[in-house]
Order: sequence, then structure tokens, then C-alpha cells
Amino acid sequence: MRTRILSILAYTGAALTLVVAICVPFVLMGAFSNAVAHAGLHIDAAYSGGTVARTIDRGRYTIVVYQPVEPRLLERIEPFVQIVFEPADALPSHVSDEFDLDGDGRPDVRVSFNLPADPNAPLHGDVTALNNNFVSLSNVGGESFSRMVVRAGNKIVVRVPLHEGPARR
Amino acid sequence: MASRSSALVRPPAFRGIGRSILLTLPMALWSLLIFTPSFRQAGRNQHIGAAAVILFMTALFFLMMRTGETYRWRRIFFVALGFLFPVGFIAALVAERGTMSIPISRMVSGDTPFCFMVTPSIILPAAFARTVIFPGSILPTASNPHSIAIMIGLWFALTLVMGKAWCSYACFFGGIEEGFAAIAKRRRLHRFVTRFGPQLRLIPWAILIFVVLLSAAIFEPVYCMWLCPFKAVTEFPAVRNVETAIQMGVFVALFVGLVVVLPYLTKKRTQCGFFCPFGAFQSLFNKINLFEIRFNREKCVDCGLCQTSCPTVALSKDSVREGKTLLNCMKCGACVDACKKNAAVWHLKGTPVAAKPERARLLFLYGTWALATMFGGSVLANGVHTLIGFLPLK
Repeated sequence: MRTRILSILAYTGAALTLVVAICVPFVLMGAFSNAVAHAGLHIDAAYSGGTVARTIDRGRYTIVVYQPVEPRLLERIEPFVQIVFEPADALPSHVSDEFDLDGDGRPDVRVSFNLPADPNAPLHGDVTALNNNFVSLSNVGGESFSRMVVRAGNKIVVRVPLHEGPARR
Repeated sequence: MASRSSALVRPPAFRGIGRSILLTLPMALWSLLIFTPSFRQAGRNQHIGAAAVILFMTALFFLMMRTGETYRWRRIFFVALGFLFPVGFIAALVAERGTMSIPISRMVSGDTPFCFMVTPSIILPAAFARTVIFPGSILPTASNPHSIAIMIGLWFALTLVMGKAWCSYACFFGGIEEGFAAIAKRRRLHRFVTRFGPQLRLIPWAILIFVVLLSAAIFEPVYCMWLCPFKAVTEFPAVRNVETAIQMGVFVALFVGLVVVLPYLTKKRTQCGFFCPFGAFQSLFNKINLFEIRFNREKCVDCGLCQTSCPTVALSKDSVREGKTLLNCMKCGACVDACKKNAAVWHLKGTPVAAKPERARLLFLYGTWALATMFGGSVLANGVHTLIGFLPLK
């Protein structure tokens, strides 16, 4: 009797597996993807740049300043702040701008770069720290996740490393 | 022992053509249903690719029905999958960005396609910090349709049906080494594999634990950044300093060693059996999957053919004596096809062993082959139309 019940359950399960297989391309794949999409996950700040602090409108283009990203306990990145210029195709050929990254009303860094006309051409830029909290970068491209001036699609992404140690607030 | 078993005559498992066609018909209709949207797209090459895949997958299923064999026909599909995936993938990368390497700019803009091999590494950070440690995007974008949500949804749906059979019906990476394992006529290093198999089988589990814990500790996809052999034939972080140069060297060395040379020498899937942490992770789903391979002890003569034929060393003498496979069995069917006494059988958990093995095989194959057609078939179609694009045709 037990064997018979188990067999019935097994064949029911196998039939359900078949039904699931048929439903995968039409219903299930989308349902599972939606579940992942709505799970409240976010991409690690080392890749995404973290949370937006404020947006500066420059008329033809916008500058988005992010909050500082601190490495987790054993994370191998330097702390940094991300600045994004978008859209890149609306930027002038030479950009030089000063930014208040910590919100104290005084500029912390000056970012300057020449934008090549060819979007696939390598981009390099300079970051000048205006106080001890930030690190200056000279002729930087895509060196690391904490030090970069790169073109990412129609955006220019700049990452300025923060000084570690007592100078930093 | 081997000579004794080879003297045994295997009962014919052939079906008549009419019955085989009848059993293949649902799969042919399924293939048409899945690839009909491809015919609505513009582009002759896409149409040819889709038509070729419909015929290919249907023909292989027919041969499975006709001959009663699984492994031989599955292997043809799987090797084609393994070799056509990089063709389509690399061609798309080169067309889009001119190189196989991922520049850091694409990582920060979330344009890295998500790979299912990373899945175990991202689980702990996602569970405890709601953070995905992968430079992709959660939702699909115009520049990255292979988003994390899409790819995990796809993997989970397929895994629900296939379990560990993912590794022999869906994983295009496994197809590459199965191809290299199929080239050599003679099995070398057999004694080494037999002697150290039990220890080697544990390595993927050790790597899995190491990768999962270290990824959670340093918030990096460690396997992806340091250990994945298939970076060598897909995409890899652009070499920009000593660290990324070392990473590239590791990828190439692992690919050559584990995916090309050792499979050729041993005729085993050495990367899958002795290295792949994703494969170990996938083995856990064998616990909940209803289908398995069992051994009918009344028929088994302990000839060892099943163990020799198993591509991932998922059988041991003890496990066969107990009538079971090990947890890492990927249900490729090699042992069932190799067994001359029909002692190795497809089995539906909960039913008596060897009561209706062909029914269990059919139930397993319908679900699994349907999804292999959907997932692998799309990859094949993409590879085929890419190859056609290389031809000097008007």
C-alpha cells in the first residue's frame, strides 16, 4: 500500500515537473526574474558608485555627486566619491569644474578633462584635491574602481579617492 | 572483468520508426513553438539558424527514442552547444566593443552580462547585505539584456526541472570540455583518476565553500575574478595592471589545463568533476529533483563499466554496490548506455527500482530536453547565424 501511494506521488510529481517545464518560457522565468527584481537588492557600491547625494544642473548637462563609498571590513577598494557628468555628448570639449563633495559649502576638488570627439577614444583627466581629505590624481583613466575618469556609455564617471587616516573627516 | 562483461549481450532497446516519431512529435511541436518568434525577426541568417536548431534538436530526440540511448545523442547537442556559445558570444562582444575584455568603464555602468557561475558567490552578500557583488544591473537595460534578475530567474526555473542535469543539458561551458574529452580514442591517466577519484571529487566542494565565504568577506565575486577557466573564451577584465595580468594568466592556465588537456587525456570532464564550484552547488538540487540513476543489484555483475564511462567520476564501487550514484551525478546517461546488463537504469524517486525505467527516462527527457531546446537551442541558433554571417554569401 505504501509503495503504491509513493508511486502515485512520484508520478504526480513527475507530471508537475513537466508542467513546470512547459511553463518556464511563458510564465515561470518571468515570475522568478520579477521576484529577484523586487527583492530589494542593489549592486555593490564599488561598481554602482553608491547613493546620489545631490544633482547640479549646468543647463545643457547635469552633474551628479554621490555620497562617499566606504569599503566594508575586508573589501579591497579605497574609499571614494563618484561624480557623474551626463549626457557626455552635451559636454564642452574641455571641462574644468570645482565640487563640494562633503557638503560644507567649500569646494573640495577640481576635476578637469578634455573630451575627445571620438567617444571610443581613451579619456584621461586630472583631479586636484583642494584639501587634505581627498587625493589628487594626474592623467588618470580607468586605473581602479576608486581612481578613474572614464566614459561609460553617454556619461563621464569620475571617482576621487578619499585620504585614509586622521586627515579625513 | 571487462572481458567478461563485454561477452554479455545487451538486449535491443530499439523502437520502431512509427513509435519513435510519435514520441518525438511533442518535442518537434515544442521546438516550433519556441522558435516561431525567430521567424518573425528580419534576417535570413536568423531564420536559417532557427530552422537548423529545430531540425537538429528534433532529430536528436528522435534518435534517443529510436535507439533507447541517451548519452551519445545528448553529447552531440552538448558539444555543439559548448563550441557554438563562444562563437556567438565572442562575435557579439567584438562587434560591440572590439575586444573580449571588459574595460572598467563597462563594469561601473553595469554593462557586464550576468553569468550563472557567479550565483553561489553572490548569495551571502545578497542575503545579509542586500548587495549584489557583481558589476551588472539588476534589471535588463538596452546595453545589458542579460541582467541579474533575468539570468537568475532563468537559472532557477531550469534548475527546478533539471536539478544537477543542468550540468549536462544546459551548461555550455561543460560542452567545451566534453568536446575535448570526446576527441581522444584512448583513455590515459585512468589509474590516477581511479585511485584519486574520491579525493578529487571533494575539491569542488572545498572550492565552493572557499569561494562563497571569501566572496562574502571581501565583497568580490572571487570565482569570477580569479578562478573561472571560461573567462579565457568569453570575457575577462581588461588587463590594466599586474593584478589583472595575473588573473588573465590564471584563466588561461586553468582553461588549458582543466578544459583542454586533462579532458583529452582522461576522457573525463575534469573541470566539472574536480574543480567547478557551481557544479558542486548544483549537486544540492539532486536532493530535490525527482529523477535519478539507480543500479539494479540483481542484474549488476560489478564489471565497473559504469564507473569507467562516468564523465565526472560520480560513481564509486561502494555507491554502485548500494545501487546509487553519488550526489554529483549529472544524469548524462553514460552509465546507463554503457551497462551491458541493463543494471543501470533511469529511476523516478518513490517508485520501485527498475520497475519502469524507460517511463522514468521519458518523463525526465521530455522536461529536460524541452528546456535544453529553449535555452541551449537559442544559444545554438545564435552561434549558427553568427557562423553563417562569416560566410561570403549574398
